[in-house]
Amino acid sequence: MAIVERPADTLALPSGEVRTHDPLGVFARPRAKTGWRAWVSTVDHKKIGIMYGAASLFFLLIGGVEALAIRTQLAAPEQKLFSAALYNQLFTMHGVTMIFLVVMPLGAAFMNYLIPLQIGARDVAFPRLNALSFWVFLFGGIFLNTSWLLGGGADGGWFAYAPNTGVVFSPGHGMDFYALGLQITGIASLVGGINLVTTCLNMRAPGMTLMKMPVFTWMSLVTQVLLVFAMPVISVALFLLTFDRLFDANFFNVAQGADPLLWEHLFWIFGHPEVYILILPAFGIVSEIIPVFSRKPIFGYPFMVFSGIAIGFMGWGVWAHHMFASGLGPISVAAFSVSTMFIAVPTGVKILNWMATMWGGKLSFPTPMLFAMGMVAMFTIGGLSGVTHAVAPADTQQTDTYYIVAHFHYVIFGGAFFVFMGGFYFWWPKVFGHFLDDRIGKLHFWLTMVGFNLTFGPMHILGLQGMSRRIHTYRDGYGFNFWNLVATVGAFIIALSVLVFGWNVVRSYRRRGLQPAPGPDPWDARSLEWSIPSPTPEHNFDDPPVVTQLDDWWHRKYAEDEHGNVIKVAEPEDIAMIGDGSRAHLPSPSYFPLILAAGLPLIGYGLIFNLAIAAVGGALTLAGFVGWALEPADDPDLPPHGGGGHDHDGDGSPDAAALEAPATDAPAVEEEVTVGD
Amino acid sequence: MTDTAIHAPVIHHEPGHGHDTSTGLSNPKLAMWVFLGSDCLLFGGLISTYLLLRHRSVAGLGPSDVFDIPFTSVSSFVLLMSSLTMALAVAAIVRGDVHRNRIWLGTTALLGAVFIGGQAYEFTTFYREGLGYTTNIFGSAFYTLTGFHGVHVSVGIIMLLSLLVMSLKGNLGPERAEAVEIVGLYWHFVDIVWILIFTIVYLIP
Amino acid sequence: MPRRLRYALVVPLALTLAACADKAPLDTLEPKGPRARSIDHLVNPVFLIAGVVFFAVQLGVLFVGWKFRQRKDDDGRLPAQTHGNFKLEIGWTILPALLLAGVAGASVLTLLDLEDHPTDSTEIKVIGQQWWWEYRYDVDGDGKDDIVTANDLVIPAGEPVSLSIQSRDVIHSFWIPALNGKRDAVPGRTHPLQIQADEPGVYRGQCTEFCGLSHAYMRMRVVALSPADYADWEANQQEGAKVPTDDLAAQGMDIFRTTCSGCHLVSGKGGNEDVFKGAALVSGAAPNLTHFASRGIFAGGVFDLWVDQDGNGEIDLDERGKELDVANLKAWLKNPPGQKPMAPDQARGMPNLNLSDVQINALVAYLETLE
Repeated sequence: MAIVERPADTLALPSGEVRTHDPLGVFARPRAKTGWRAWVSTVDHKKIGIMYGAASLFFLLIGGVEALAIRTQLAAPEQKLFSAALYNQLFTMHGVTMIFLVVMPLGAAFMNYLIPLQIGARDVAFPRLNALSFWVFLFGGIFLNTSWLLGGGADGGWFAYAPNTGVVFSPGHGMDFYALGLQITGIASLVGGINLVTTCLNMRAPGMTLMKMPVFTWMSLVTQVLLVFAMPVISVALFLLTFDRLFDANFFNVAQGADPLLWEHLFWIFGHPEVYILILPAFGIVSEIIPVFSRKPIFGYPFMVFSGIAIGFMGWGVWAHHMFASGLGPISVAAFSVSTMFIAVPTGVKILNWMATMWGGKLSFPTPMLFAMGMVAMFTIGGLSGVTHAVAPADTQQTDTYYIVAHFHYVIFGGAFFVFMGGFYFWWPKVFGHFLDDRIGKLHFWLTMVGFNLTFGPMHILGLQGMSRRIHTYRDGYGFNFWNLVATVGAFIIALSVLVFGWNVVRSYRRRGLQPAPGPDPWDARSLEWSIPSPTPEHNFDDPPVVTQLDDWWHRKYAEDEHGNVIKVAEPEDIAMIGDGSRAHLPSPSYFPLILAAGLPLIGYGLIFNLAIAAVGGALTLAGFVGWALEPADDPDLPPHGGGGHDHDGDGSPDAAALEAPATDAPAVEEEVTVGD
Repeated sequence: MTDTAIHAPVIHHEPGHGHDTSTGLSNPKLAMWVFLGSDCLLFGGLISTYLLLRHRSVAGLGPSDVFDIPFTSVSSFVLLMSSLTMALAVAAIVRGDVHRNRIWLGTTALLGAVFIGGQAYEFTTFYREGLGYTTNIFGSAFYTLTGFHGVHVSVGIIMLLSLLVMSLKGNLGPERAEAVEIVGLYWHFVDIVWILIFTIVYLIP
Repeated sequence: MPRRLRYALVVPLALTLAACADKAPLDTLEPKGPRARSIDHLVNPVFLIAGVVFFAVQLGVLFVGWKFRQRKDDDGRLPAQTHGNFKLEIGWTILPALLLAGVAGASVLTLLDLEDHPTDSTEIKVIGQQWWWEYRYDVDGDGKDDIVTANDLVIPAGEPVSLSIQSRDVIHSFWIPALNGKRDAVPGRTHPLQIQADEPGVYRGQCTEFCGLSHAYMRMRVVALSPADYADWEANQQEGAKVPTDDLAAQGMDIFRTTCSGCHLVSGKGGNEDVFKGAALVSGAAPNLTHFASRGIFAGGVFDLWVDQDGNGEIDLDERGKELDVANLKAWLKNPPGQKPMAPDQARGMPNLNLSDVQINALVAYLETLE
């Protein structure tokens, strides 16, 4: 085949020749670079990352309002602000929203935006699948929340123990929305997981071996591997629940011989890795922020990596510690108690390494550093209370009390959420080209810190005093009154801190022209995303960076002089890439991920209300799928940027890849040799 | 041999396909491996569920009442043979033998369809004998597990037919051998899962 | 105050505000029986270790932040670029692992200890359902339950008691913090739990596995009686109900037989066994009321049946049988779903029977006779 020998440039179509590939002849190929069309059709990992972040913050507001409602009800004993039925929906949806629609996608936001930049890639392995993940997640989240308007939210707790979630005990549609909605967001996670695992393993810049990857990318890789393996387990559980509720199957029908512990096992085999899915990206972000503001490399890089991997593995062997009171029998309880103890070891190693990174450094304290140090302190508290429940006999006193609520909020809020906030301040200039105001940021941090501790600190006491979880009210005279009031006050301080953050975002945007532009590397940082202009140009890297060592970017700025002192040898502005995209080739935007995703919630509604809606949804999804398969990954009508470059846009799900070619007639196939399929 | 030698560079120059990835595996192939790893857990969950529930029914028909081992053995053999034909299809396309590749792709899809037909027959027979989806806990578990496998096989058949259409349109030359290989990975996986299911569900009492 | 000290170790806030901890009948750190005490002994050193680590890390973060802050007069040179220290890493991997291994060993020993089932235990079946607890005693060991009661689990103080925990509908969890940890009531399964109370008294409990609408109101108590009192109680409970002599109560009995007997059983002479239709509810049954007035609380533990005369927030042993809390009982009979969230339309919980005040007065009089 002669085409192989043709130089890349000559593949450009002769100018003036019009050959449009409108798939199905319906949609014009999206071309917009700005405006809403650019966003809905984007396959750019950076835009998708930003949309993940924005969507998570939107859901954060919903979950936050639910939290405030819960705290208002519990501010005093015997309050009847919300009925028990509504309260049960509130705490269920609060948990589901915060876990699946806030913290997980916040992690996805950072991972989407940063992984390609940190490994020196132009995009993820499958850009269109990446867009699909986002849209499926967004529609799944909206689907879940529309349950409020269609008869009420899920009311079985986020853990949804059978048989309380069956039609007999939860006859409304809430649990149907739960089962189908989480199934949909699960698809998003699974597709995203496959995509990002492939990206981390396959798309690294020349020279970037696995042990030269930044810690954040490493932790993200572990997270995505966990997702890939954990999601199918919850999928199975949700399928069983859905079949029970909608098709009268007998999986959790005790009268037919079912054992409700099946659900508990399936849920927690997913649920415990899920905990690490929530926290590992945060571990990664802390490991990026602390070295930069300590002006030292991360202490014990290989130990940081291996402890992350160890957590990833051990996370699979501890699930039954959620079930110490479930009646597993002493042998199982003992085994899981011991395994749970030891998962504290790699976590402790991380905390000590962060401390050692700061030790002997020259620490500065802009907002990202405050959040990172706050996380080290707060997460430790969550870890320690975690050790106290690993003591299985003690856990039988603690489980399902507010002590547990305190524990996991210290881990997920004090751990993950703190760090994501810090990450916002850290990478904001890279993403948007201007800083978030640091003084307001500090106010934001301290409000969060105070509000957080006021809310969740007292819950340790409440739990040890015996206050159960998931109760819509409590009795006067149990010693619960004072601390509940404190917690409620704290919750409103947290709400205030979120408002301050919103204010900071708006104000910093309005005043962006008044401050000096951040430049490529405002923090004197270490990883590759700081070697390119801010905001990140669409094509990321002008040329693929060549990596020789860990923290390669930092080592281009600093070197040892003849006395062995490390001195600055280059200014970032002088050695950063200039943002010349002429040698870059980018994957083309597409509407089809959006269309495919839009069908899924309709299928969900259809299964709940009327199969006709499901038929419409199924048709839409099928149309999206076919259109996707028939659409070449690259727009043949766009003038090529020139060939060459380090292109990597082999898009398409495995089966879509197989389906992709039919539309491309023979000449198109020839071009694809350089433009990818 | 000459053919392969000429075509080899084509594959290597394809972006994101092979050599310029960090692992040397192309992106789609690596993604398929990751997906299959994930799918193991899906079937792991379903098979565990079945194992836990199959003897817990309080009423209705049980496994030994409905299973027709000789019949299912035959359909299992058919599916097993389809793995062989799939391997032949991959070998053919790697050789550049487009014609034989078509024959083997078609045969594989056909064998898969025979298997699905057998499953449909089996399901209807069981239903007539009185084992519905909601009859008892064994029914729910059995139909769900084997049904999920059936859906996997059906998706595989669709992929095979798509390859066949591509081939007939002249778009499936040896430079795309990898697409066949990836579908082959999936097909073999589904086959292996069936061997497990057949052993666990049908053969172990 | 070791309890407060422990709070302080767990939460720094408590350091300054510990004085606010007041009476907490569900307190997990005040064991009143040997099983709970062995948990307490196990967890105390763990809290202590956690407290030490807590202070070390919190102060450590503050100290490092203060000590290594960039000074105003910074010379602009980089700090020493240390990349790690292998020995240190191995050290802080192994040391916590050894410490945790110790804790794990102690946990496992206590765990096995807690499961120990003394042969001389009083055996009681505990059955959860939405949203109350039933207790069944087979006194003579003939396989037939001789005592069926609800809400108040009566046990002999100072003696081991072995519970078999079951459920009729969804998962519940039986928990009396002063006596032992919790154990789930899972439908289709029977889970053992051993408890023992040191002294006669009342020990509060709460269902701790989310079980639907009135989960918050699914409360229960353990009433521990001295062995002599327990023997009296046991004998009385095996008696049938007496036919009331009082007119009003006799009217009440008739109303009970026509209106309440679809779900509630009163056994014995003058009871409603002949008209009792059995379980009409998904939950299986409503509480057996044969000895209703021997209990301290009703409606799944939401309400006090007697007046709390010393105002300590609890119906103590000697307050039972003194002054009926008529207001509570009348309010309940008037409109049960208004008093406690239930789903009587789905056959879960007590419906509003639209009883007149006259009927309610008669019923209250009858119920008080069921001692």
